[in-house]
Amino acid sequence: MTRQTIDSASGWRHLNKVRWLTLVLVFALLIILPFFHVYQTYVAAHAYDLLAPGERKLYDIIETLTAPFVDDPSRDLDVIKGNTWSGRLFGVKMSDPLAVAGQMAAGRNVYNPFLLTALFPVVATLIFGRFFCGWLCPANLLYELNTNLRILLGRFGVRTGRRCLDPKLKYIVLGVGLLICGISGSVLVAAVYPPAILGRELYYAVAQRGMGGGALFFVATVLFDLLVARRGFCRYLCPGGALYSLLGRFRVLRIQRNVVTCNDCTKCNSVCEFGLNPLRDDFGQECNNCTACIAVCPVDALGFRWRITDTPNQGPGHESPRYRRDHKDKRQVFGNANSKA
Amino acid sequence: MQTQRRRFLRRAGTFAFTILAGALPYSLARFMAPVRRIDPTQQLALPGALPDWRAFRAACIGCGMCGEVCPPRCIQFHRNDGGLAVNTPFINPQVKACTLCGKCMEVCPTDALTVTPREKVNMGVAQIDRAGCYPWIDQGICGACVSACPLGTKAIRFEMWNQYRPVVERGCVGCGVCVEVCPHPSLPIRIANRGQGAIVQHPV
Repeated sequence: MTRQTIDSASGWRHLNKVRWLTLVLVFALLIILPFFHVYQTYVAAHAYDLLAPGERKLYDIIETLTAPFVDDPSRDLDVIKGNTWSGRLFGVKMSDPLAVAGQMAAGRNVYNPFLLTALFPVVATLIFGRFFCGWLCPANLLYELNTNLRILLGRFGVRTGRRCLDPKLKYIVLGVGLLICGISGSVLVAAVYPPAILGRELYYAVAQRGMGGGALFFVATVLFDLLVARRGFCRYLCPGGALYSLLGRFRVLRIQRNVVTCNDCTKCNSVCEFGLNPLRDDFGQECNNCTACIAVCPVDALGFRWRITDTPNQGPGHESPRYRRDHKDKRQVFGNANSKA
Repeated sequence: MQTQRRRFLRRAGTFAFTILAGALPYSLARFMAPVRRIDPTQQLALPGALPDWRAFRAACIGCGMCGEVCPPRCIQFHRNDGGLAVNTPFINPQVKACTLCGKCMEVCPTDALTVTPREKVNMGVAQIDRAGCYPWIDQGICGACVSACPLGTKAIRFEMWNQYRPVVERGCVGCGVCVEVCPHPSLPIRIANRGQGAIVQHPV
């Protein structure tokens, strides 16, 4: 007999691989796009013959890569520009909601065309929650690799920080950051927001003359994650994460637990980057729909549902040893969930 | 316990040494590299920028897209310097000058840069020091600034009675191409604010 599989055991578990692919793609684009830019300026200036032999090889590679998609590099490479902070994708300008909030606070006025560029991200966040943090944020890729590094360091006996702070701290950071923007008249939240920093600094490193001071701040956040709290910056301090959390509070697409198939193995809890509690249905607005818990679940008890609230704690999973011991006589109520053998 | 701690300390020491040994040559190279100080008086605002630099600083979100589309790659950013203007763009015509192509104004998502026709751009006005310019002191013929100007004779032309003495006209928008091409080491041509006029007023 098969297990009752209303929502579970679908293809959700493969989403995590797709997510890693998107993360790597976004990060790779942040490095490749500045190279494309440098290349297209040389094409526009007809300066290929002036290049040094080593550089010429690089531009030959770029030309081979772009040739199938591009007729005139000096114009066609303009279709994808910018970074996750603000960018242009096939003619559509999109910006981070934090950029809009920070700019409105700094200039104390509303510029509608710029407001519109955040429309698509905001609508997507209202539906998918804090998905940017898990799926697109270039800093998230490095932070997740950093989590792997701390596991590796733990094997070598190096102690890493495991402090827990209050997740509400980041809302204070957001509020104070916007306040400072308003007082100083400069979009200073951009200087403490890792995806904006990374996009900018990678561009500076490739096309300008080396990285700026933001790179140091980013290294500091990585060390904070390593030495103070696991994924501490995203969970406790990131102003953009705070804004996305607020927008995604009543997100429509949520990860939920199918209590009938759950066996209380706690793998979801230990894999959760943000220290949430999927085992007891406690996702909240912090969850970024990253699907790591879905991928790790051995019984496919986790999956996406269209709901605007989390289910209140459904109690222990019906496949857990404790639950089976306690409910030996009433098991039939839940269909043939126990007829595995 | 003792051996474990010793092993850990040894590992940590090796780790730190490796990092330092890797970082040392790089940091030495960075440290000894010649620093070219940017002349802060020659930092121009971008074409189409908000005229008030405070408003510009507040409107710019520092996404760097203007730099990413700039064909001559003249747009630089305040990377470490600039205080509150950090990550905002500027142009230094002594390094590389704007060609008034207008791509940055088109790509800017905010109101920091607005699309402006090239004749209406106001980055300043070229100012010629007649005591330094080669033709003006009869030290030869040049005409580099006049031939390089993207706006042509509306912005800069030769003086009527001497074929090589440049004179700045009303149409100059201050893009700075003349500054970039000027062969004189003391750069007798530079971009000044519009109110300062096109001829250097010498204190002497």
